[in-house]
Amino acid sequence: MIMAFRNVNRRCHMGLQQLSSLASIGRTLLGPVKSYKFIVDVSTSESVLTCSAVRLLESLDLTSAVGQLLNETIQAQNKDYKTGMTTLLFLVGAWSSAVLECLQQNVPFSLIVSVMSEGLNSCSEKIQCLQLSVHDLYKGSDSVPMHFGSSSLGVPEGLHSHQASPCDPHNRYLNSHLCTADYRTPLLVEPVGNKTMPVLPGSSLIASSCNKRTRLTHSRYFNTPGKSHCSLQVDNFGGPPTGPAACPYEFNDFGQLAMALSHGNQSSMKLVHDIVRCQQQVADHTGSFQFNIAEVLTCCLPGLAEHYSCVCPGYITLVSPEKATVTKKLQDRPLQILLVDGDLTEKYRHLGFNRPSNVRIISENVGLQESNSESLWINYVLDILIQAKVNLVLVKGNVCESLMERCILNNILIINPVTHNVLLAFGKGTGIQLVTYLSQVNSHCVGSSVWVDFWRTGDLSTMELDNKVPISIKAEGIHLVTAVLSSTVTSKMQVIEDRFWTCAYRLHHALTDQKVFPGGGAVELLCLSHLKKLEEQSLKQGDDKPSGDFYMSSCWLTKSFTQYKPVVLKALASGWHQYLSRVMCNTAHYASEFEASTSIEHNLKKAADCGSPSAYILKEFNKGDKVMVDFGLLTKREEAVKVYDNVTPKVEAWRRALDLVLLVLQTDAEIITGPKRNQLLNSHGSSEFIFL
Amino acid sequence: MSRIEAKKPSLCTNEPLTKERVSFSLSVLSGIVKSCYGPTGRLKQLHNGMGGYVRTTSQSSALLGGLSITHPVLKVLTASVQNHISRFSDCGLFTAILCCSLVENFQRINFAACTVTKISRHLLSLCTDYLKSEACGCRISVDFDSIKTLLSLVHSVLASKPACMLNKTEANHLSTLVLKAFLLTIPHTVETNVVLGKCVIVPVKDKRVMDSTVFPGLLIEIPESQLARTFPVIRVSSSTIKMALFCISLSGDLSNIGEGTVIVHHGISLEVAVLDQLLNLGKQLINDQVDLVVCQKVIHPSLKQYLEEHRVITIDRVGVSMMEPLSQMTGSQPIAALHSVSPTCYGSLKDLRTESFVSKNFLHLIPNDTLVCSLILCNRNEMAWDELKLACQTAEHVLQLTIKQPLALLGGGCTETHLASYIRHKSFTLPASVLKAIDCSRTQYQLVADAFSRSLECVACCLEHDDGEILTDMVYGHFWSVQSGFPSDCNWSDLVLKCGCGICSNQQNLNWTVLQSQCIPFTPQSCSNEPSVNSTDHLVLDCFTAKCSGLQVAVETTNLILDLSYIVEDQN
Repeated sequence: MIMAFRNVNRRCHMGLQQLSSLASIGRTLLGPVKSYKFIVDVSTSESVLTCSAVRLLESLDLTSAVGQLLNETIQAQNKDYKTGMTTLLFLVGAWSSAVLECLQQNVPFSLIVSVMSEGLNSCSEKIQCLQLSVHDLYKGSDSVPMHFGSSSLGVPEGLHSHQASPCDPHNRYLNSHLCTADYRTPLLVEPVGNKTMPVLPGSSLIASSCNKRTRLTHSRYFNTPGKSHCSLQVDNFGGPPTGPAACPYEFNDFGQLAMALSHGNQSSMKLVHDIVRCQQQVADHTGSFQFNIAEVLTCCLPGLAEHYSCVCPGYITLVSPEKATVTKKLQDRPLQILLVDGDLTEKYRHLGFNRPSNVRIISENVGLQESNSESLWINYVLDILIQAKVNLVLVKGNVCESLMERCILNNILIINPVTHNVLLAFGKGTGIQLVTYLSQVNSHCVGSSVWVDFWRTGDLSTMELDNKVPISIKAEGIHLVTAVLSSTVTSKMQVIEDRFWTCAYRLHHALTDQKVFPGGGAVELLCLSHLKKLEEQSLKQGDDKPSGDFYMSSCWLTKSFTQYKPVVLKALASGWHQYLSRVMCNTAHYASEFEASTSIEHNLKKAADCGSPSAYILKEFNKGDKVMVDFGLLTKREEAVKVYDNVTPKVEAWRRALDLVLLVLQTDAEIITGPKRNQLLNSHGSSEFIFL
Repeated sequence: MSRIEAKKPSLCTNEPLTKERVSFSLSVLSGIVKSCYGPTGRLKQLHNGMGGYVRTTSQSSALLGGLSITHPVLKVLTASVQNHISRFSDCGLFTAILCCSLVENFQRINFAACTVTKISRHLLSLCTDYLKSEACGCRISVDFDSIKTLLSLVHSVLASKPACMLNKTEANHLSTLVLKAFLLTIPHTVETNVVLGKCVIVPVKDKRVMDSTVFPGLLIEIPESQLARTFPVIRVSSSTIKMALFCISLSGDLSNIGEGTVIVHHGISLEVAVLDQLLNLGKQLINDQVDLVVCQKVIHPSLKQYLEEHRVITIDRVGVSMMEPLSQMTGSQPIAALHSVSPTCYGSLKDLRTESFVSKNFLHLIPNDTLVCSLILCNRNEMAWDELKLACQTAEHVLQLTIKQPLALLGGGCTETHLASYIRHKSFTLPASVLKAIDCSRTQYQLVADAFSRSLECVACCLEHDDGEILTDMVYGHFWSVQSGFPSDCNWSDLVLKCGCGICSNQQNLNWTVLQSQCIPFTPQSCSNEPSVNSTDHLVLDCFTAKCSGLQVAVETTNLILDLSYIVEDQN
């Protein structure tokens, strides 16, 4: 029989133990202050630098069933929300060890499952009263200043010089400072700060704020650190300059919301905010505005100092020097564009086209070669392009090398590979259809009024990086915005890109949900206080009154609810408790989890004494203490900006984490089929398995 | 040079059931299915141990489909259960557990196989006769005037699949949706031949269960790009939309040229020839004023472009599962040829809209007379979604079976314990003439009947996975669970709360006893007149048809397994 059968449930639950130990690797990733991790492949000596749960799990070799389930859960959260994965990973760990403790106290499995899942449900309902409407935080678009003065879209004369002038004081916004000072980097000792930043001519603002020793104040868990925490105080361009005119954090608009959602990634959020302004500006021409994340792109420029990070309208991409010469010839004039949704090779056929295997081509002329057909095809394609007066072709897939060379000779610029999103945006903007084959080309497929130019830095110089040149492509009516991300440390590029997307999605979700939670642990604190109340209620309740909130399939379990309910609710609460204290520890304001835990208890008591915990928490939040769980430090003026959390991504991360733990809890056997069975039979661990 | 190898002789095993390996394998299989049973059943992770997809499940169809069983005795068992599942969807674990228990219990009494077979057949007929009679005390009739019983049936199916990860609100929401979807497939006018419509499940994974919903008509997912392309061109003015449905590929390839070699002269392009044919087809469709072209497979981009430029909406790659509902809903005949497209093949639609739903875009095909509906099913991850889909399909099938035979059995173990009491009682009162007809003594009959009852009770006991103890009452013969380790002198009615199906409560002063303890046989009463039948609480109900079949399959498979005297295996 090709089946091995392993009993998971021995005295201690193996699956849950695996889960808890796997999840524990993500503990230091929680909160705004993260420690980087190096993942090294021993066999190839390749290494990856990471500080996010998704990338961490992606890089690990998780072949165990539980590991795979964990990875799938994290990836699903990432696919949908791009935020909340670290919370998910941490809660999986905390809850699985809490459930293990319940098992040791002989709580029946089914009771753990139903009390925990209904308990989470009850908490999710309870915290709805904390939700804040986004409308209250974002007072409309009137107050949004225009920051693309020299780059007004839709005006052809301006199109080729889209970079804001260096004299523009707002340029500081655009060239946002992608600093990572708030990240403790054990291996990368020197955060890229002012040492590499050149003082731009005419930019007195930068010069004035350059030497200010500023502190990170807008992280979710961050308060002004004392002298003992000087490791966190880094000279930082991203910090708020003190002059009122230059303070970028005192927006009465979108910016306030965006910054409150940045959770310590101000520099990335700054870029997101700039994107919003950019899109808003385009929308001002057309009317309605919404933050459209589908039309946001990133372009990574590794090797370039971080202060070059900025937001540019249009599509920015890297091309080879040969193509750069074509670009040079094509700039400053409107171009004709063609969008190809496939490869540009002779042999390419659309998806679903099956090549017949039994067709033989015979020829009466001797000497007709295979290569001949390709050159015929190239001539044919080139003819079409020249006839249609196309100068620019965006191709989704591969392009035949010889065709590329011929096009360069004919001053036709081919860009590939281009994502589907970009093709669609250009299609939408110019009103043309995408083609799969060039034989389809007709007047509906060729767009006009497209401009190419070199991407320029603030001082209008062009760049060449690693033999690649960044160029920008713009068109009238196109809404694409590219965030240009740069870092001198190549291995950090991925981290910076991930962080940018997390910020973008946080804002996106806040706008989609139309509501946010007060941040800084407010929600978790309310959950803890709510669970405490439920626990007390269940202790008071009589034996014959099973709570209406809870649903049991087996009747005796309903009867023994009161006996076990407090234990299980405590286990559920311990997840959030650990979460809060871990975050507090990671921000280094608390020396130990014990100290943090005492502080949480203190706040819980104050909330309970107040009568209405939610009112207490909201009151504290509105007072300006953005951190509910008191971090024991003074509130300074800079903390006027509050911290918010996303609603749906957070609640979903909780639910997914608990679902995974409960799923593994209820699993009592692994059934392994296929060839692996024989390997197991001969392995050392074969006694763990039952072979059928 | 060919190598000749001597054939190995066949391996013959006699009395296979007495072999240790068989009984061990059987007990492992029985352990697996027993531990999965019911709403608190334990889950199993099915995977290949090498990083493949991990399926977590407790449903029989996924479980038995995932096990690769090679031993003939176990194969007989699983094959019969799988056959039952393919016909009825529900009660697969019940069948498997009952079969395993019957084999174990019958082996224990150690009678000649033929005697056991004869008596168990008679017992089976007693059971089925009883279940089908009006006097049956463990069934209720389903009233289609109210949705309560139907909802209970659906809810019982969904609640018994813990790997779906539904909480109470979600289970209620989905039960309502499944019932709603089912009601949409029932024709308004009832003729002699009632044909039910179709409910198509549209997958939306990684989303909240509460986002699930039902639409009348069909939803076909389309990319956002097509949404923008399609919608300014739709003809809303005409009252009906003419539609052509293709089941062949319109991708322009030559996949159906058959065997042998096609020889083509250089300079002649088969592809161009086929594309010309496709464009001719497009011309005909435009002449025939077709508004919508749907293709099961791929449409060539050039044909698509041509049609769209003439304001015809095209949808390709809808998949084979959509073909039947599409054809049923629109009245169109699937077209399987590029030429000779007859206008009679075209179908019609009342309207065409777009729906955006949890970040996906759908084309909503609204028929004139809707018997087809789409259930958009959401769950948080792929695995839970797979499990939920299976559960919803089972629930839908249960409703279909129930409309044919409007009866339901009491669930939660009550039918099994009730039936066991009935069999015990019957075996004591069986007339001698019957015993003579089946040629056995009363003692023999009673022993087999006892093993039979025990097996039924064993199935009921498998519902308990948390070390609770099972009681039964001496009036209705229902199933009651209590916490284990209760003091012997306590009042039983303080321990119990409700019976398994939820009809009886501890208020009634019933006489309880521990299940499977020796007690005086009694005739179990019917409680379908109890007031709680009409109360608002959900009862736990099982599908009548599926359970009856399961009972039959289990007994007959057991008889077959007991009858096995030799296994002959070809070793080559």
